[in-house]
Amino acid sequence: MEKKIPLNIDGRDVEAAPGQTILDVAREQGIYIPTLCHYSKTTNVGACRVCVVEVEKARSLVASCCMPVSPGMIIKTDTPKIRASQKLIVELLWASGDHNCLTCEQNGNCELQNLVYWLGIEKPRFNVDPPGYEIEKTNTVIQRDLNKCILCGRCIRACNEIQVNEILDFSRRGHRAKVGPAFDADYIDSDCYFCGECVDACPVGALTFKQARFAGRPWEIKKVKTTCTYCGVGCQMDLNIHDNRIIKVTGNRAYQQPNEGSLCVKGRFGLDFVGHPDRLKSPLIRKEKGGELVPATWEEAYDFIAERLAGIKKKSGPESIAGFSSARCTNEENYLFQKFMRAGIGTNHVDHCARL
Amino acid sequence: MKVFRSHLLLCGGTGCHASGSLAVKKELITELDKRGLSEEIKLVETGCNGFCAMGPIMVVYPEGVIYMMIKPGDVPELVEEHLVKGRVLERLLYREPVTAGIIPTMQEIPFFALQDVRVLRNRGLIDPEKIDEYIARDGYAGMAKALTEMTPDQIVQEVLVSGLRGRGGAGFPTGMKWKFAAASPGNMKYVLCNADEGDPGAFMDRSVLEADPHAVLEGMVIAAKAIGAHQGYIYCRAEYPLAIHRLNIAIGQAKEYGLLGKDILGTGFDFDLEIYQGAGAFVCGEETALMTSIEGKRGMPRPRPPFPAVAGLWQKPSILNNVETLANIGQILLRGGAWHAGVGTEKSKGTKVFALTGDVNNVGLVEVPMGTPLGTIVFDIGGGIPKGKRFKAAQLGGPSGGMIPVQHLNAPIDYEKVAELGAIMGSGGLIVMNEDSCAVDMARFFMDFCQDESCGKCTPCREGTKRMLEILTGITQGKGKAGDIELLQEMAAIIKDASLCGLGQTAPNPVLSTLRYFRNEYEDHIYKHRCSAGVCTALFKSPCQNACPVEMDIPSYIALIREDRLEDAYKVMLRTNPFPSVCGRVCDHKCQFKCRRGKMDEPIAIKFLKRFISDNAPRPKIEAVPVTRKEKIAVVGAGPAGLTAARDLAIRGYKITVFEELSEPGGMLRWAIPSYRLPRDILAKEIDDVRALGVDIQCKKRVGKDIPFAKLEKEFDYIYLAPGAHKSQKMGVPGEELQGVYGGVEFLRDFNAHETAWTTGKKSLGSKVAVIGGGNSAIDAARCAARLGADVTILYRRERKDMPAAVEEIQAAEEEGIRIDFLVAPLNIVEKNGKVIGIACQRMKLGEFDRSGRKKPVPIEGSDFTLGADAVIAAIGQVPDMSFVPTESGISVNKWSTFDLAKGSASQTTNPKFYAGGDALTGPDTVIGAIAAGHQAAKEIDGAIRKQNGEPAYEEPAEEKIVIPFVLDEDNPEAPQTKMPELHGPERRKSFIEVELGFTLEDAIKESKRCLRCDVEI
Repeated sequence: MEKKIPLNIDGRDVEAAPGQTILDVAREQGIYIPTLCHYSKTTNVGACRVCVVEVEKARSLVASCCMPVSPGMIIKTDTPKIRASQKLIVELLWASGDHNCLTCEQNGNCELQNLVYWLGIEKPRFNVDPPGYEIEKTNTVIQRDLNKCILCGRCIRACNEIQVNEILDFSRRGHRAKVGPAFDADYIDSDCYFCGECVDACPVGALTFKQARFAGRPWEIKKVKTTCTYCGVGCQMDLNIHDNRIIKVTGNRAYQQPNEGSLCVKGRFGLDFVGHPDRLKSPLIRKEKGGELVPATWEEAYDFIAERLAGIKKKSGPESIAGFSSARCTNEENYLFQKFMRAGIGTNHVDHCARL
Repeated sequence: MKVFRSHLLLCGGTGCHASGSLAVKKELITELDKRGLSEEIKLVETGCNGFCAMGPIMVVYPEGVIYMMIKPGDVPELVEEHLVKGRVLERLLYREPVTAGIIPTMQEIPFFALQDVRVLRNRGLIDPEKIDEYIARDGYAGMAKALTEMTPDQIVQEVLVSGLRGRGGAGFPTGMKWKFAAASPGNMKYVLCNADEGDPGAFMDRSVLEADPHAVLEGMVIAAKAIGAHQGYIYCRAEYPLAIHRLNIAIGQAKEYGLLGKDILGTGFDFDLEIYQGAGAFVCGEETALMTSIEGKRGMPRPRPPFPAVAGLWQKPSILNNVETLANIGQILLRGGAWHAGVGTEKSKGTKVFALTGDVNNVGLVEVPMGTPLGTIVFDIGGGIPKGKRFKAAQLGGPSGGMIPVQHLNAPIDYEKVAELGAIMGSGGLIVMNEDSCAVDMARFFMDFCQDESCGKCTPCREGTKRMLEILTGITQGKGKAGDIELLQEMAAIIKDASLCGLGQTAPNPVLSTLRYFRNEYEDHIYKHRCSAGVCTALFKSPCQNACPVEMDIPSYIALIREDRLEDAYKVMLRTNPFPSVCGRVCDHKCQFKCRRGKMDEPIAIKFLKRFISDNAPRPKIEAVPVTRKEKIAVVGAGPAGLTAARDLAIRGYKITVFEELSEPGGMLRWAIPSYRLPRDILAKEIDDVRALGVDIQCKKRVGKDIPFAKLEKEFDYIYLAPGAHKSQKMGVPGEELQGVYGGVEFLRDFNAHETAWTTGKKSLGSKVAVIGGGNSAIDAARCAARLGADVTILYRRERKDMPAAVEEIQAAEEEGIRIDFLVAPLNIVEKNGKVIGIACQRMKLGEFDRSGRKKPVPIEGSDFTLGADAVIAAIGQVPDMSFVPTESGISVNKWSTFDLAKGSASQTTNPKFYAGGDALTGPDTVIGAIAAGHQAAKEIDGAIRKQNGEPAYEEPAEEKIVIPFVLDEDNPEAPQTKMPELHGPERRKSFIEVELGFTLEDAIKESKRCLRCDVEI
């Protein structure tokens, strides 16, 4: 990108590229501007107004997340006026909901909490007045507590613009505005796919993963980057581990390709098999027809497979053997599998579950 | 073309439909048919005529006679009289609200005569559902010119020259907007019309659409040509069904005539239009939200840039103009931009349509040149405030605007001036508020609107307005606390600065504006729990009690009359007022102005009922209160303030000495108010009650003369100064020093001191007397002079409605044969041989408004005349005589000759030993004001003493329990106030016998039953 727009931010003369917002430039410069509703790769809506900055000659404060730079702009990000506005806005958000950090899953990982701390707000000057919505308990994976919702709209944009599921939007207006599926339905009664993108997008504790509730604090959780085992896309994700248990799976936008932090319902919620007591942990061999499956070592299993396949091939020829592979294997594994069938067994009878 | 002998133009706007014009129309058709007149007389249903308060309205042409408030039942008579017999039916004509004079034609009614109709030029004249009638009035001629003779650049240029600015409220130059959009690349562009009029009290756009829809279509086609658009939308709120209906007809007809759609006027230019109905969200009047809504999404604003001129509807270059803006365009193109710029102010050109509503006589639609003073709109066009109430402020710009208070009635209304005054032009809703509106409640109302209409997208607007509303509601409910005002101000500044769209950015305006002009009302609510307007019901029991300076428990004593429990009623009155019989006669009864019954028919006759009790109840015996306190207190002046303070302090156990200069106590009650209004014995009885408590009243003791000021200061611990205001103001005209020229109060005092000398002719004013002034003193002097046999003329420099005297006093004076000559000011006294023989005067006309909201009289050149007079009484106001206060006393007296107060006190002077009250503190005021001052001073003096002694605060002795009955009639039909029986005839004119005779028991019970008992919570 060619940088040719000269401007001044907090006293620094810098050059910006066309199309960049004030927030982009500030971040490039290592200048912290707080945000709440801003969610990259979605529309800049300028809703929360905590990212306001002063621009010389502007009529009012400017939301840096959606103001494109223009030549000669003189920007200040840290003035008493800006801080006073940010404080009032955060105070208002705090007082508008049930932001009780004691039991909140997001405690320690909450953008509102961080902002309250960063701005040094002791307590809001207004009565804390949550709307009193019932907590949604009708599905097993996502907990919706709209009393904690700050109406930033990130979940809505994640749903509509990233996943393009178009389930969520605002309903009602003013301070009664509410996020949810059409006709105020619960997730389970809507067309929701339960991808969980909204939960990852939520900056506060309004949307949380149900199975992770009371399973571990953010600072106790170890995040392990891995590749999703469900299909060949190879989505990158973080297993959130506590006490050697996967308590939830989160997307990580920093991992970029191929999924840029997005996950589907399987990768997101389908990993409970990992710690399941019924999970197979060693090969089983049924030694005689009608007999029990008996645990075996890998050596025994491989020997058994090799011996049987070689026997069948010898007796009935390679065309009597077919191979069927899984989408849960990586591309490399599937490549090796067909190679094995064609070169090793000598048949083209090889297929893959994704074709079904 | 068929020719008719008469045209009946019946208003068919939504307002007139609501008041029944469709039924009138039906009746007219039947009646004309019945009489076989249908071929001679044409009935036309026009759009909004503008004078909505008077609907249904019909104008009969060719005479131009306008009939108002027609009911279907009036139609046969109307047709018979006017259309058959050719006689105007007077009872349906307009009556001027002040003079009640009849005005038959539209052109002569000030409401219409003072307007300059450009946008509304076709109102009430054409049938909005007939395109031919619009075309006959030069309709589409501007469009034809633009399409056939002009380039897009030239069109934009013409609009720029016109100086037209967006009439939706923001006032952005329309030509600039078009220029930007024209310069945007692309061949998909949109022209949008904002008809989502949503401000409370605004109905300009609806009326334009209903009365002249083609004017808007014409403007849109021209705009389309200017920017190169081929598709347009009119975003009209669904709550305007008649406007939408007429727009649809107009679009259909325009297409049929080739004035819309493909190849307009054969020029090859295409432009099509659709109506998009808004679903009722106020925020959809905001341009980006409106576009989002047309796109089929939830109507929420989006950040700018990109601006609509670059990426608007469906991300294509778009312009959005308000209905009124577009309705201006056709005429601008036809007559030229310079024609439009020919009226208005430097930066605000053309005219502006206002929806005039609220507490104003002529509610309706008004179009005036930019720069017309607010007072002209409210008083000359609007006919002023109903029921003689005072103008308080006008709310301009609806919930995004602000109040313009009385001191700015001369302000020329244009974009700049309005902004300077803290309001916004807005779309033109102009809500007039009278003294019965509470500024805090008004701010609360608009904040409630904004928080309800906030879309909820951005935090400051969504949460901030809600919290501001919470604070405002708290204040109106008496839960306000210190710091609330500052928090409101802080929040207002941030919400204005940090909100996403215009809704939030302007939502705090009503709060800021009311804080700017009426901060005292906020403080009264928060710190004194008082709502002086009588609106915030949580702060008082009843509006009458709230209006009373001593908070008399009016509903209770009225309820007791109903039960014939007069003794109890009297006791209730005495709890707060030591002078109920005086107040029952001469109080200015603020309570009655706030009486809710007055909104239904007429207020309760509270004053007369009070008098009835005091005249008829057995008087409780007053026992002397033993002196239990060591502090000695002196009171200077035995008027109502001094005596009230003396009484209150005596009850608390203090030894009180009152020093009075004159020979009898009573102050103005004794020495200025004539006995035909306040008989001496009535006053004396109430003063005796004060004496009976043990108060020592020493008459003929003028401080500074009969008792040295230093002695007073030495001998008493505390001194209450209530000397009153007994010196008449000078007129400042030559000859004032002549014999035969009196000050009003000086004459009254002399008369009251030497009544026999005057009535027996030993003293005389002569046969012709001129009284100057319009207050109660002037009327008192005039009525006294008339009783002495003189021919009396009152000269007043303003109008009747501006007279400060009580209306009933003015009427009584006129009844007694006194003439009042209005708009006259004295120039000099004419003398012959040192004797007054007349007064030279000049006539005045009304000029600009003064700070009190009355028009200032200005002399008419060459209007001088001389009125023959043997005596001139100048009763133009009084000032206190402060010559008894030595400079070294440390008591500060200001330039108005009244006392200055110590900071934070309502009665302590700048010398902590001295307190002050009554007229000498406030300037001439009322009896009840003086009584309230006396109470206040007693409380403060006692409080100061106890504080100094380290004693606990005074506790009122337990009140005798009086059960107040609550009886209300099921049916309380409209009924006027019960008349006060009066003395009539020569006995009244020639004597000083009390004129008002007092209610009978029957009168009193009848009147007490009218009380609505606002004090009771059910």
